[in-house]
Amino acid sequence: MGSSKVQRLSGMQKQVLSLYRGFLRAARSKSEEERCKIESIISQEFRRNAEDVDRKNFLYIEYLLRRGNKQLDQLKNPGTTGLSSLQLHYSHPSSKG
Amino acid sequence: MASLTQTFMSLASLPNLVMVPGTRISHPSSVSLSIKEGRSFPSVTLQPRGCRFRFRCVAKPETVKKVCHIVKKQLALPEESSVTGESKFAALGADSLDTVEIVMGLEEEFGITVEEESAQTITTVQEAADMIDKLLETKA
Repeated sequence: MGSSKVQRLSGMQKQVLSLYRGFLRAARSKSEEERCKIESIISQEFRRNAEDVDRKNFLYIEYLLRRGNKQLDQLKNPGTTGLSSLQLHYSHPSSKG
Repeated sequence: MASLTQTFMSLASLPNLVMVPGTRISHPSSVSLSIKEGRSFPSVTLQPRGCRFRFRCVAKPETVKKVCHIVKKQLALPEESSVTGESKFAALGADSLDTVEIVMGLEEEFGITVEEESAQTITTVQEAADMIDKLLETKA
């Protein structure tokens, strides 16, 4: 059970980092101005979730990963010029700090 | 917190590590952004240690120097802070998200693409520089 839990955490952590990389890559294909906005928003969102989400809440993390991947697919579309045209709705609109 | 534990473990494994005053250490309430303003650090000049070769294929000194520069920029560390080939990203205050950003920054600077699995194994400046030179060699 212990090793299983560790493996799940490790695997999920890799998925999160992979998703983060994907967003940063997608941001590169946008204009310089939009890229800065995207990177700032993505960074804040990932870090806020890192603080707020219980790392043992696997179901919620999986949900966030699925939602994130959908948003990433939208962002990869050349027709998407920036986050303003994406239908992004965060669970917690107000950011800490 | 995983990153905090990792930081302590890294510090424990580096008994000779010289910590620059004011070096940022991750803690739960902190929010880490790539760009910080209005923050000043005391000026510290340290004698750089000689480069010790531990790998069969060793990166060029200029590659290590460039990597150190990008790491400082990415982590918003002062230019005079001590970052060497042996520096661990975690010891410099980088969490796993910071490390992803560092690797992405290195990709852009050197015009390379680091595979996901390779990227996840990089924990020190030297490891990053070695991989970069290896990729550049293959690319040329």
